[in-house]
Amino acid sequence: MTPVLDLRKLSAGYGPLRVLHEIDLAVAGGERVGLVGLNGHGKTTLLRSVMGLVDWRRGEIELDGKSILRTPAHRLARAGIVLMPQGDALFPGLSVRDNLDSGAFAAGWRERKKRRDRVLQLFPRLADRLDQAAGTLSGGERRMCSLGRGLMPDARIFLIDEPSLGLAPGVAAGLYSTLKELDLAGGTLILAEQNQTLLEGWIGKIVRIHGGRIVGIEPGGAPSDGGPAVDEGRRTGT
Amino acid sequence: MTDVVTTINLAAIYGLIGVGISLTWAGLGFLNLAHGVTFAAGLYGAWWAQENISDHPSVIFLGGIVVGAIAGTVVWLSVFVPLDGKPNWDTRSIVASLGLAIIGVNTYFLVFGPQRKAIEYLFGTTKFKLAGSTITADKSGAIISASVVMLLVVVALVRSRIGLGVRALTQNPEGAALVGIGRRQAAFAILAVSGALAGFAAVLLSQVFYPEPNIGYLPLLKGLIVALLGGLGSIPGAVIAAFMVGATEAVTAHYLDQSWVLLTQFGLIAIVLLVRPRGVAGILEASRA
Repeated sequence: MTPVLDLRKLSAGYGPLRVLHEIDLAVAGGERVGLVGLNGHGKTTLLRSVMGLVDWRRGEIELDGKSILRTPAHRLARAGIVLMPQGDALFPGLSVRDNLDSGAFAAGWRERKKRRDRVLQLFPRLADRLDQAAGTLSGGERRMCSLGRGLMPDARIFLIDEPSLGLAPGVAAGLYSTLKELDLAGGTLILAEQNQTLLEGWIGKIVRIHGGRIVGIEPGGAPSDGGPAVDEGRRTGT
Repeated sequence: MTDVVTTINLAAIYGLIGVGISLTWAGLGFLNLAHGVTFAAGLYGAWWAQENISDHPSVIFLGGIVVGAIAGTVVWLSVFVPLDGKPNWDTRSIVASLGLAIIGVNTYFLVFGPQRKAIEYLFGTTKFKLAGSTITADKSGAIISASVVMLLVVVALVRSRIGLGVRALTQNPEGAALVGIGRRQAAFAILAVSGALAGFAAVLLSQVFYPEPNIGYLPLLKGLIVALLGGLGSIPGAVIAAFMVGATEAVTAHYLDQSWVLLTQFGLIAIVLLVRPRGVAGILEASRA
């Protein structure tokens, strides 16, 4: 089976700085993958490099067997890859409604409304805030708005970057219970998370990243000590 | 009363120019110095339509708007498309648009010559009295039509899909890319609509500003003042700023002299930006909080 997303010998970085070192990772359709590792070891860069939001990349990234190295981010978004980035990348001056609607930018207004209602069921807190500017939301609400926006389009690949970052543990736990219940309609999920315990029991595959390299791939679900396992990176999923 | 009407008249027209500059700057990070040449293109377009098609006002307006939009598209093709995404886009685009402006002005000299052209009275020559002062038809016509057009722009920005894209782009370019908003497409919309607005403003000013090659400089300057004062990217800010700039101009011209106008307008900018570095938009935000 062809992987949906295939990274081969992918190196990436910013300016003279090389963050990722020859990453090999194949992700199958419908798979739920957790990227685990310490801060500053390349989780975010890995997700961003898929969208082309890094200074430079070397190697290959394929979507459905076709190279996407030359495809700009907005085309990838339209092709069904959605990145919910660190820092949320919301539109602070626009209302929560507009922020959500922008996620289904390509859809007609009727369809947009339908999906917005679905998102509001997941994050009822946002329903009271629809007309408020996104910049005035609390940190937790902003994250909900960002995740909600990411769930608006008809996406097939969901890249979520540390949804728990900067949130109080209770809020983060609430967010994760929503994420766990999420019906991705056969979509693929790649989730970066420093805190592995949040992934236990619902993520199919844990990919350990350390120093910009994959140091271990293991089935999810099993409790672990959380430290970066020293293991040869291998290709899976093909 | 005359001052008030003059203020509203100027505000309406400067607003049309300023909004285009403001949106282009905020949405694309592009200070479009070719906007004055676009304005002039609208004037020449109106004049050309009058000479070659018909001197019916609707034809003249259409000529100005269409040619303005085409000029905006030329800016998009010659500045945005080749340079966007390249390093130093913000400085390069300024230089490129300045170059385009110089080429444009000299093209006008080459094609139309230095003589001024005349455009018909568009709203007739009727006058009416309001609260003891005389209001000419072209002033009231300009005020009404500019307000309607401005309203249409705001509605399109708030209601339409491409409007949502443009607003998103002014707020967070990366977020816009992540939801699938194409920068190039949005840039086309912004520059073409800005051009059409400048062309429309040019037709409204055609009783005061005759088509001649250098005619775009002053409107560009006023548009920049409005955009800066309003807070870049803020439409309500630009509208309020247009009124402030128009009022300053009317009052200065009345009590001092027309030659003092730019001085007092730049003085106004300096004061507002000293107090609120983000311009009128900053004041609006502060009062909301």
